[in-house]
Amino acid sequence: MTAPPTATGRSSSRPLARPLAAAVLLAAAVCVAGCASTRPRLAELVELSAGRRPARVELTSVPFFPQVEYQCGPAALATVLSTEERPVTPAELVPQVYLPGRRGSLQPELVAATRSHQRLPYLVAPTLDDAIAQLAARRPVLVLQNLGWKIRPRWHFAVLVGYDSTAETVILRSGTEERRVMKARRFDATWARAERWGLVALPPGELPADPDPDRYLSGAAGLEAVGRTAAARSAYLRAREEWPGSPWPWLGLANLSHAEEDLDRARDAYLEALARDPENVAARHNLAETLEARGCVEEARREIERARAAARGTPLESRVEATAQRISRLPALEELGAEDDPRRPPLPGRAPGGDCGNAE
Amino acid sequence: MSQFSKKLIVCLIVLPALVLGAPTTAEAEIIGTLSALQAAQREHDLETVSAALAGDEVRRQLAGWGVEPERVEARVAALTDEELRAMAERIDSMPAGAGVIEVLGIVFLVLLILELVGAIDIFKRFP
Repeated sequence: MTAPPTATGRSSSRPLARPLAAAVLLAAAVCVAGCASTRPRLAELVELSAGRRPARVELTSVPFFPQVEYQCGPAALATVLSTEERPVTPAELVPQVYLPGRRGSLQPELVAATRSHQRLPYLVAPTLDDAIAQLAARRPVLVLQNLGWKIRPRWHFAVLVGYDSTAETVILRSGTEERRVMKARRFDATWARAERWGLVALPPGELPADPDPDRYLSGAAGLEAVGRTAAARSAYLRAREEWPGSPWPWLGLANLSHAEEDLDRARDAYLEALARDPENVAARHNLAETLEARGCVEEARREIERARAAARGTPLESRVEATAQRISRLPALEELGAEDDPRRPPLPGRAPGGDCGNAE
Repeated sequence: MSQFSKKLIVCLIVLPALVLGAPTTAEAEIIGTLSALQAAQREHDLETVSAALAGDEVRRQLAGWGVEPERVEARVAALTDEELRAMAERIDSMPAGAGVIEVLGIVFLVLLILELVGAIDIFKRFP
């Protein structure tokens, strides 16, 4: 990633280098202009929003941390994580996201550090339109740019903090510049070479502009996966409100209840998920696990069979199959002689009288 | 570790499991929301590399790139299984955002040279 810094300086001593460099620059300029000409202009994006987006936005309250050495990752991340109540400095992020041997930071680690600060990492759609939408909703966007060429990349993290549709510019906190103004087309070209990767660090329970359910829920589920339970719960609750017909927020809430061994609440939430999508494999599978943990072996068997059918041909097939085999080997409750069987100690949350109810 | 040796290790771990059947865990485990979402969003099998193996590889990589030993564990723990797999498989080719200082220097140098030799004439546009 990091090349010897002065390749150009050296080559200028050779006679051919000057015209060559000029040609390369010209070619690059033509390509950037040519590739960009078909993309929508900021003015159009603002116009199409029918008044939802102002002509000009600048988030002046977003702090600025000048980058030191190669540490644009920690600086850009601190820019989006800091709030007035809780400032975050690049120095404290360096041990979390900086890779000395690579002289840089990697995207997954920026995402992970966002979660470690109790924020939901929401990846914006790879369009200038979505980035502008977030800015209009007063959310700064951490972006990856490639300031070099495709074959010789120069990766850089910066933070979009504004745009001006009349001047066709965007405003960035970038490197050592507090207010870097860039032509929107030029910015978009550098952004496109980094696959237009952009991240919004959402406080838990808040939605981005034009929220995409898949990307929002993936962010929430990431919080769950690394044990940021409280933040995950706020996000699922907000998602449930926003997308009442979706099974996923219910699945997430059920899984959180299951992790806390609140099996009754987990079962109810799995049933809510399945009421929205009876073919949801994970909800069906986890419902079976929950019923089994509550001592409802017969009901668990019935549910795991349905999960098996729904899982056929999906990536979860082998996983469900393993559980189905395990549950099929369990003796039924009647055969066990109820609670006092020494082979099977009662599990936490297990219903004392076999209160298995009617799953559905 | 080369791609081949990585694949070899994966095969050595996965093959016996396939032959002997899925390992039966004594402990019941639910499917996490993230795995479920990813399974629904994609077609490919998620379990190509075990998360534990991917974690070991990332641990090795981070330490190799100069992350302090006492920080490595926390950094691995902050990543999801899918992120660990992505990093284990592609960490060498992942973009490492570094910065602009150097780049601006080079661009300025090129522009300055072009200006001095008369190929371009842009600097008078700035006050």
